[in-house]
Amino acid sequence: MKIGLPKGLLNYKYSTFFETFFFELGTEIVYSSDTNKEILDLGVKHCVDEACLPIKIFHGHVASLRDKCDLLITPRIMQIRKKEFICPKFCGLPEMLVNSIPNLPMITTAPLYFFSKEKLYSWCIASAEKITKDRSKVKAACTKAMEKQNNTSYGIKNQGFRKNIALIGHPYNIYDSFINMNLVKKLNKLGVGVITEEFVEEKDLDIQIQKLYKRPFWNFARNAFGFSTFMAEQKKIDGIIYISSFACGIDSVVIELIKSGIDEFPFMVLKIDEHTGEAGLETRIEAFVDMLGGGINYESNLSPLR
Amino acid sequence: MFYLGVDVGSVSTDIVLIDENMNVIEKMYLKTKGKPIKVIQEGLKKLNEKYDKKQIKSSGVTGSGRHIAATIIGADVIKNEITAHAVAALNLDKEVKTIIEIGGQDSKIITLNNGVITDFAMNTVCAAGTGSFLDRQAERLDIPIEKFGEYALKANTSIRIAGRCAVFAESDMIHKQQLGYSEADIIRGLCEALVRNYLNNVAKGKEIKPKVFFQGGVAANIGMKDAFERELGFKIYVPEHYNMMGAIGVAILAKRAFEKTGESKFKGLSLAESTFISSSFDCYDCPNNCEIVKITEDNKEIGCFGDRCGKWSGRINEKVL
Repeated sequence: MKIGLPKGLLNYKYSTFFETFFFELGTEIVYSSDTNKEILDLGVKHCVDEACLPIKIFHGHVASLRDKCDLLITPRIMQIRKKEFICPKFCGLPEMLVNSIPNLPMITTAPLYFFSKEKLYSWCIASAEKITKDRSKVKAACTKAMEKQNNTSYGIKNQGFRKNIALIGHPYNIYDSFINMNLVKKLNKLGVGVITEEFVEEKDLDIQIQKLYKRPFWNFARNAFGFSTFMAEQKKIDGIIYISSFACGIDSVVIELIKSGIDEFPFMVLKIDEHTGEAGLETRIEAFVDMLGGGINYESNLSPLR
Repeated sequence: MFYLGVDVGSVSTDIVLIDENMNVIEKMYLKTKGKPIKVIQEGLKKLNEKYDKKQIKSSGVTGSGRHIAATIIGADVIKNEITAHAVAALNLDKEVKTIIEIGGQDSKIITLNNGVITDFAMNTVCAAGTGSFLDRQAERLDIPIEKFGEYALKANTSIRIAGRCAVFAESDMIHKQQLGYSEADIIRGLCEALVRNYLNNVAKGKEIKPKVFFQGGVAANIGMKDAFERELGFKIYVPEHYNMMGAIGVAILAKRAFEKTGESKFKGLSLAESTFISSSFDCYDCPNNCEIVKITEDNKEIGCFGDRCGKWSGRINEKVL
């Protein structure tokens, strides 16, 4: 049996888990290619118009794998941390896909909760139903997958740059260099290092979260707010860039929370959508970097020739 | 000795020459009309009639077409338009705290404190309230864009127009016209709608402190200036060369760069005689299928843009630099 693993949405974070699990079950794994124009076009063609760009791109990845596998991993991720939720589009992802893309192979529809071993195990049993009935094999594969996932580290922490910024956003916006038009590389070229939320400890996040009038409903909100206010407070960075998909409901709230939590600290929101013209993005990041430069006297900081 | 600044925007291409004291000696406001190369050539041709290459020490480019312009003229400074606008405004008045800049496709707000940019914002995906929209409405009403502002000042009252979206604004305007409201009142209403949209959208959450400079092509519209002043409750200033500020800013930066390095890559004013051809093709080397733009000067490749991987642009840069 061939398993299709689309490289989109939270697979940027959890691919190790899926990969290991299905590898241990002895199946062959087919990946979609890194996001590219073809995948974007496929996604836009298949997906409902109102969805955000990452969802459209996930549709593209799924459509590109449609005829290449027998079972597609389309995780219905419900929760990552206890008592916190993620974007509702993840909960309805399998339905969106089935109703938008014709002739799909089998897809995984079981709900997935990352915070509990038992719940992860039930996802594994349901998803492996057509592969094996051997529970002990599934259990062993699941345990191994969890271990590997826990031992995999993520995040970007550039070192040795003159200026440093915190880059905030959903993982699929940060790690998909097609979506974000090579933002990290562009910043590096301008002499700016990037650090992402993975490098702040849970306990520091918890302290920051106390500042909110209630516990955040969304996991993304906890990470983004906690990370940005912590970094601004510690003054370990010179500015913050938030990369956000156009029409993201969660971001619309989180961005306002952050703005109110960091006072005058330099902060910029980059909106991304389907356009592939890079001029607008470049103008904004260059101006932001100039701003961090302090004075107006920054000839050394010219736009790089493309 | 002069320094050249070129701002290639979506609607206009502005070319200025400044002298050692940063006075504007020569200025040209040309319509880009989607042909940046041709417009730059035309502009330089005019300069070539009056000036010699040796008189121009260095050059800078800005605007959304800055990369193509840099390749063509051999610019020493390539700078984003936000910084360029701030540099030009600060050169006139160190006290400026807020810059409202409305151009063809972009509108921006820049806040400054003690001569340092502290914050800025640009319109996001929507171009409602920018110059092209006003241009289009002027055309539709059959009023020359230069006269648009005067009409607004003739109004007795203002008609409320929906300002959030250019499409809604247009249909709202048509409805109001059909009901028989006067053109002047509608235009004043439109100016107010654009100002409202600017303050709620671009300048959202930013404090607009005086002294305010109003720059960019739209600053020519006295109706807009008037609407801003009524909404903000204080006077705003439109600098003399309001539509050239980007070009002036980058000319100043070119001057500073020259003072530092003492050298220039500027190719000269005789560019008008060269034949520039820009062609585009799809690169199929990977599934990104990037649309590559290639520019040749007298059959010699001088620049490529549009690739994600840097294979095309990188290859040329080595030759140019």
